[in-house]
Amino acid sequence: MIRWLAGRVLVFVPVLWVVATLTFALLRFLPGGPFDREKTLPPEILRNLERRYALDGTLAEQYADYLGRLARFDLGPSYKYVGRDVSDILADALPVSVQLGLLALAIALGGGVALGLAAGARRGSGIDRGVGLATLVGVSAPSFVIGAGLILGVALGLDWLPAGLWESPAFAVLPALTLAALPLAYIAQLTRAQVAAVMDQDYVRTARAKGVPEGRVRRHHVLRNALLAVLTYFGPLLAMLLTGSFVVEKIYAIPGMGRFFVTAVTNRDYPLVLGVTLVYAALVLVANLLVDLLYAWLDPRIRVAPDRR
Amino acid sequence: MTTLGFASLRATLARRLPAPPRTAADGADVSTSLGGASLLVVGVCCAVVLAGCGRESMRAAPRELRINLETEPPSLDWSLATDGVSIIAIQQLMRGLTRLGRALRAEPDLAERWWVSSDGLTYTFVLRPGVVWSDGAPLRAQQFVDGWLRLLAPETAAEYAYFLFPVKNARAFNSGQLADPAQVGVRARDDATLEVELEAPLVYFPALVSFMVTFPQRRELIARHGERWTEPPNLVTLGPFVLEEWRHEYRLVMRANERYWAGRPTLDRITAYMIEEDSTALVLFEQGLLDLVRLPPLEIRRYATRPEYVRQPLLRGYYYGFDVQEPPFDDVRVRRAFALAIDRSVFPGLLQGGELPWPSWIPPGMPHANAQLGLGFDPERARSLLREAGVDPAALPPVRIVFNSDQTHKLVAEKVQALWREHLGVRVELENREWKVFLKEVAGDPPAVFRLGWGADFPDPDNFMNLFTSYSENNHTRWANPHYDALVERAARAPDPAERQRLYDEAQAILCEQDVPIVPLFVAASNFALAGRVRGFVPSAMDQYFFDEVSAE
Repeated sequence: MIRWLAGRVLVFVPVLWVVATLTFALLRFLPGGPFDREKTLPPEILRNLERRYALDGTLAEQYADYLGRLARFDLGPSYKYVGRDVSDILADALPVSVQLGLLALAIALGGGVALGLAAGARRGSGIDRGVGLATLVGVSAPSFVIGAGLILGVALGLDWLPAGLWESPAFAVLPALTLAALPLAYIAQLTRAQVAAVMDQDYVRTARAKGVPEGRVRRHHVLRNALLAVLTYFGPLLAMLLTGSFVVEKIYAIPGMGRFFVTAVTNRDYPLVLGVTLVYAALVLVANLLVDLLYAWLDPRIRVAPDRR
Repeated sequence: MTTLGFASLRATLARRLPAPPRTAADGADVSTSLGGASLLVVGVCCAVVLAGCGRESMRAAPRELRINLETEPPSLDWSLATDGVSIIAIQQLMRGLTRLGRALRAEPDLAERWWVSSDGLTYTFVLRPGVVWSDGAPLRAQQFVDGWLRLLAPETAAEYAYFLFPVKNARAFNSGQLADPAQVGVRARDDATLEVELEAPLVYFPALVSFMVTFPQRRELIARHGERWTEPPNLVTLGPFVLEEWRHEYRLVMRANERYWAGRPTLDRITAYMIEEDSTALVLFEQGLLDLVRLPPLEIRRYATRPEYVRQPLLRGYYYGFDVQEPPFDDVRVRRAFALAIDRSVFPGLLQGGELPWPSWIPPGMPHANAQLGLGFDPERARSLLREAGVDPAALPPVRIVFNSDQTHKLVAEKVQALWREHLGVRVELENREWKVFLKEVAGDPPAVFRLGWGADFPDPDNFMNLFTSYSENNHTRWANPHYDALVERAARAPDPAERQRLYDEAQAILCEQDVPIVPLFVAASNFALAGRVRGFVPSAMDQYFFDEVSAE
């Protein structure tokens, strides 16, 4: 088990290297540089800037320099935010995105599984229809529509909650709901389909025939199997929610990391783009590892390590 | 009615679909699903209760101003900041030798008075006595010298170092050709006297030293704190406010500076949030959580008649440029024809942002602007010019307008496309580009027609007219006229306003009537919503804001 885990973690290194290299190359293919301005800079000033940020060497030198710093866990300075290192920026922004992401994750999982279970266990009922319609809306409406709707309805219309900013837990409600809407709907659909399929399985019928109480049947036999499908989605979902969403953070003015996925590219802030990309990649890797471990725990058929021994 | 409809729908569904098998323990199922739902309801209720307490933290205290900065200031180091957001924050914290008054003329600020030598080359500034920094240290002339040399030092890599290029040897020092900073034309004659030697006479120099890059600096503090010298509590300033908190990407809090030389400001505190989405900021304003926000273009019409509405025309021009070396625009008659076919009066209605159609380049509000210059709308003459140039509109390949992706630029381009098709009969293609891609293209291989804008750095026509000299990095039209260059250079040194007017009129006539490398379209405006509790807010055509004269109930 430990060896398997260590092997998986070791594979992270080449994967991250490939991500770093590809991002580096793509950024340099992109026309326009960090110091292209509406007000063009005189050439001598441009030279000073390129020297300061070590952009005056060849591309190979810059790449070597970048990898060298990366190996020392140094993400370099931001080109846009003077005097701030990318690691400072991420240290400020990531915790905010993580808090919001965890809240959204709880809402999405709790709400999605509950709705999916309720709908799947009573196929064709009014509940099922209602959930089907609601989740269809949730899956297809983009977050800026849901966000705008919530701001207009709850903030401006009812004046229950603020339309944005990040002051107290109350300020997290609308963004968390907006962020959770899509995964909640998707999880509900997944759960519903799985529950509906599992309900007809022989082992469920057997359990019922044995006289196991229905609640226990649903918790132990139905839900556990239905959750396997949700788990497959859990890995990418976790990484996506924790690193923040550009749209949600922008419309609610939340100081998280999601906005940098777009603004850093717009500014051609190469070190910041590479920083957020690597954090995201690392989170995807860790989340997928977590999912594999959870699989093994939920489904005895997938338990890897003990079988090998 | 609704219930009835819903019930009948359910009945229909029940008939068409077999009912799910019911079991004895159905109750458990209901409670499971209800458990999830009720948890959600409880959660939302908690949130709403929390909301009540949560928002208290944002309720305005008396004498507190809550504004929207829109984005994170990229830097509060006044040698390195270049953008409007940083400037707004820095203007509350710092002061310079002069300050632009309401008429945009340089007025005494840290310099009590100044004079210029008879050859126009040496400026002497006498500092106001008794000015102290927020840590109690006195202001000294050497601190200006330190700030200017730091700005110009190549290793600082300051983008706005070129603001001081008029100072003797500044450019050579910045480019590394000159290593000795003592040869740069700025020195402290004593603690209260700053002497500046210029490369050539420059009549607007006193306005230039109102700009943040010329503010004094504390060399010893920058050395002590390194790049973190602008973070609180490290940052020591001498303006009406001092920096209390800087939560990056979220908010800046500034509080009144008890040691400000002109006396403590009326406000206790300014809280400046960084809300990028202007419609979110407006909802927060309407919820009473912000006092001053910029209006989203679509909301301007709704606000136009309200007392909260504030509009301010800006010294910011919007123009279309031609690549004058690319056919058919290598023929000046064609350029004039295309300029004459644009009806500028359509833009205010189209854009709704308070734009003012303006046919010449020096914007209104700036000295020496002239409304009489420039090519107006004359489709008849436009067509005859095209004929004269031997251009058959039907045979002309489509003309390409390139702009950076943005709703306003798209609207303008579509309108120009329609005007040129209608009045000249030419086909026009529109292409938009991502911002940096666009800048690269315009600077390297300019499209036949492109859009650009220019906002004033200092309120002197030189800032606008200099743009289209043959040696300007910002002249992307590939147009060069030595006579224009000479006029602009002479105007920058001419001390007599009447002579300057004559020189600029002549230069503007070349630019906007005769050679027409550009077509100025309109000048932009700022549109704000301001809470009723705020008094004394004066917007400025330079998009600069001073909150020391503002009060809030």
